[in-house]
Amino acid sequence: MLSFIIRRLLLVIPMALLVVTLTWVLIRAAPGSFYSSEKKLPPAIEANIKKKYGLDKPWYQQYGLMMGNILRLDFGDSLKYQGQSVNEIIKRHFPYSATIGLLAYILALILGLTAGIVAALKQNSAFDYGSMALAMLGLSVPNFVLGPILVLVFSLWLFIFPPARWGGLMALVLPVITLSMIYAAYIARLTRAGMLEVMRSDYIRTARAKGLAEWKVLLKHALRGGIVPVVSFTGPALASLLAGTVVVEKVFAIPGLGNIFIQAVLNRDEPLILGIVAFLSILIMIFNLAVDISYGFLDPRIRYE
Amino acid sequence: MAQISFKQLRVVLGLIILSSFLASCSTQATSKYFGRTKAPEGQVLRYVSGSEPESLDPQVPTGQPEARVLMAFYDSLVEYHPKTMEPIPSLAESWEPSKDGTEYTFYLRKGATFSNGEPITAKDFVYTFRRGLSPELAAQNAYLAYYIKYGEAYNSGKLFVKKPDGTFVLEKDVNTESKGAAPEAEKSATRTIEPGVPVEKPLETEEIAESGDTTVAETEFHKYINEPERLTVPADEKSQKALFEKNPKIKAAVESGELVPIKGEDIGVEAINDYTFRMKLIQPAPFFIGLLGHQFFRVVHQGTIEKFGKDWTKPENIVTSGAFELAAHNPYDEVIAVKNPNYWDAANVRLERIEFYPLEEATTMMNLYKSGAIDATYNHTVPAGWKDIVKQYKDEYLNFPEVSIEYYTIAVNKPPMDDVEIRRAFSLAVNREALITFRKSASLPLINFTPDGAFPKYEEVRERVYDELLKKEGITREEWQAQTFNAKRACGLFEEAGYKIREKKPDGRCIIETDKSVKGYFPVEEVNILYNTSESNKAVAEFIQAQWKQNLGLTLPLNNQEWKTFLKVRKEVDYKGFGRAGWVGDYIDPFTFLNLFYGKNNDSSTGWHKPEYDKMLDSANKELDPTKRFEMLAAAEFFMIRDQPVIPFLTAETNWIKKPYVKGFYPNPGTLHPWKFVYIEHDPNKWDTDVKNIMKIEDPWVEQQISRLTKTQEDFKQSQEAQKQNTAKAE
Repeated sequence: MLSFIIRRLLLVIPMALLVVTLTWVLIRAAPGSFYSSEKKLPPAIEANIKKKYGLDKPWYQQYGLMMGNILRLDFGDSLKYQGQSVNEIIKRHFPYSATIGLLAYILALILGLTAGIVAALKQNSAFDYGSMALAMLGLSVPNFVLGPILVLVFSLWLFIFPPARWGGLMALVLPVITLSMIYAAYIARLTRAGMLEVMRSDYIRTARAKGLAEWKVLLKHALRGGIVPVVSFTGPALASLLAGTVVVEKVFAIPGLGNIFIQAVLNRDEPLILGIVAFLSILIMIFNLAVDISYGFLDPRIRYE
Repeated sequence: MAQISFKQLRVVLGLIILSSFLASCSTQATSKYFGRTKAPEGQVLRYVSGSEPESLDPQVPTGQPEARVLMAFYDSLVEYHPKTMEPIPSLAESWEPSKDGTEYTFYLRKGATFSNGEPITAKDFVYTFRRGLSPELAAQNAYLAYYIKYGEAYNSGKLFVKKPDGTFVLEKDVNTESKGAAPEAEKSATRTIEPGVPVEKPLETEEIAESGDTTVAETEFHKYINEPERLTVPADEKSQKALFEKNPKIKAAVESGELVPIKGEDIGVEAINDYTFRMKLIQPAPFFIGLLGHQFFRVVHQGTIEKFGKDWTKPENIVTSGAFELAAHNPYDEVIAVKNPNYWDAANVRLERIEFYPLEEATTMMNLYKSGAIDATYNHTVPAGWKDIVKQYKDEYLNFPEVSIEYYTIAVNKPPMDDVEIRRAFSLAVNREALITFRKSASLPLINFTPDGAFPKYEEVRERVYDELLKKEGITREEWQAQTFNAKRACGLFEEAGYKIREKKPDGRCIIETDKSVKGYFPVEEVNILYNTSESNKAVAEFIQAQWKQNLGLTLPLNNQEWKTFLKVRKEVDYKGFGRAGWVGDYIDPFTFLNLFYGKNNDSSTGWHKPEYDKMLDSANKELDPTKRFEMLAAAEFFMIRDQPVIPFLTAETNWIKKPYVKGFYPNPGTLHPWKFVYIEHDPNKWDTDVKNIMKIEDPWVEQQISRLTKTQEDFKQSQEAQKQNTAKAE
């Protein structure tokens, strides 16, 4: 078990470097640069800029410098936002995304698991149909539609919540709901399917045959097996939630990492793009590892080699 | 299963009903104002300023969103007039050009200080100009200051060539056809003065000139800068070699002499004393004063920059020179400006606090506006889908012509577009009125290259010049105006150019042969429409495509590229046919548009270049009389647009909203607002109404402020006049 974890952790490093290298190649392959704009810069100014940012050096030197920076976990300064280091930007904007993401994740788990379990237990009841229909709706309404509808109703008609911007608990409500709905719906459907499958399995029949109380059967035996598919979904989902979701951050004008990342790509802000990519890939790999580990606790049939 | 889908169907139906209900609710204006309208407590303005500022260092960023924010924090020699954007005195109380128009002397206001209380003097401007042009700062905007003598040479790290006898090699020594150095410079002797120390020295010279006394101080630096232009050579060997091969005289000069790097001290800016600042330009540039309000020229504090380096704009370090100082900066969220008590005109600044919200999502802005969380937005922010509703709010919706146009560039060197008649034909075959209706924008159709409505004085002159020129070409004014759309003439031009018309329609439209097997076919796949990926660009491109299909029978292929890729391809004229383009003026003068086609490697992205045109612009800028200058510019514009290297479509309009209680806030052509004229009016009876007329209505307080500020320059001019008359009498 321990050797499994260490092995996986060690794998994170080359993987992250590979991701960063690929990203670097992609940025370099894309035409344009962070300073290109509608106006043609006089060659002298372009030369000044290239010199200032070391872009006049040969590519292997630039690559070496970049890799050196990354190994030291110092991504250098943003090209677009002068005087701001990439580390500082990530540190400053990650908490916004993480707050909303974590709250949305918790909300999605509560709603999704409850709805899924109840629907599975009362299969073919009105609640089952109703909640699954809602889940279907949640899955099919994209958040850029749901967000504005919520804003229209709760901010512009009822004046309960602010329509956008960061600040205060009230401002969190709409973005968190918007963000969580699709996940809640997904979790509800996965839980229901997983539970239905498990409830039909032999070891549940055995548990019942032993005369266990129904709630014990449910929580101690069925749920553990039933939520395995949910866990494999929510692990990476949590990573992507924490990392920021562009649409919700845009709609609600939240200064989160997703927003920054898109802007960085549009700006060709190389150090910032690489920094965020490295940060996110490490985050996702660690969550995946956590998911893999949790399987063992949930389902004793899974072994680590 | 059937049961579920029935239930789902009910839900879906419910949603459809709900959404149609929402839609019906929002299409009519039900109240007087758009959303919640209540003036905030006190003098606070909440303004959406566009994308996150790249930097709060005024000399670094290039965009409009930054310009709006930085105008609050930094002051300059001149400030924009809130309505016309013409320059009005700010830190300079008055200024005067030299007789040949290549030198400007500014008389600074005494008692102006930075936010830390230190005085703002001419030295600070010298520092600011030198810093902006320094290669180390690598400012993208540095080209704005290339009009300053040796500014470009310094910025490009060039070198002077010093002869063994201590004098410098001059441009005219090696280049027989000198680039026309300023006439009065030719006269002065070829004396050399050691550059590098000129600024400190002159400061010791005796205090001169209360403003009004206009004797031009003669300083060592002034003598140096007025000498004939020195030869400058590039620093890197490769360019040097190329230069030597082209001109062996330069090679000889360099080999026998010593190369001296050009320093900041060598450029044409000078502090004659603490309150007199002088700059020397490479050419008469009458529009340059108007450019000085640009953030690039706004004064920065040397001590702070030197002490903190790149961290100097952090809220805890920053020192500002404008009406406001920085209280907080949370990137992508807010920039908070509070009134600067040390500002020289603080008594007349009414806003206590400005909250800038860097947002770009138009729908989000509208939501915030409706809920009363913001007071105004920047330009082009009312989305097309909202326009019909928002424009009903007559007290809030602002749509005025701006210094911004939309057009398609043409790659003029590739056939078949190398034929001017074909270029004209394509231009004539676009119905601009229909395009404007389609865009749902109230913009104005454009056939010239300078926008309509932004430079009223120029347009007046242009009208007159065009009448003459048109007469010469045998075109009536009606025909000229009809260029906004004339399918018949377009088809005629194609026919004259030798293309086969397959079918003529009774209403003048036609179908041009595109079948390759027929002689005289038009090679339609050689002509594309290139645009950068975006929904609205796509919609416009499809509309233009449809226009040419309907009117000429030509279906041009569309080609879209991501923004940065597109920029590169278009700049290098690496496309065939047409490229989408827009241009926003840097300052309020037609030259900011006409300049696009100036020079061999110009910014027009068309490959078009005519030396005659360059000459026309050069001589226009040498003209000191504004009306005559406009006449010459108009002739140049006519010359260029007759050759149709571009297809102009429209002059954009500002399209933004503000709450009626925000006063002193005008839809000027650049949507750049000098914040010191803005205030919150708490008395609803004095709120702005029917803002269509806002430019004509005079706000007594704002007018009083403007006339107070412009008075110093007017008085100065008058005293100049009086002096002239006196000397004339004496003689």
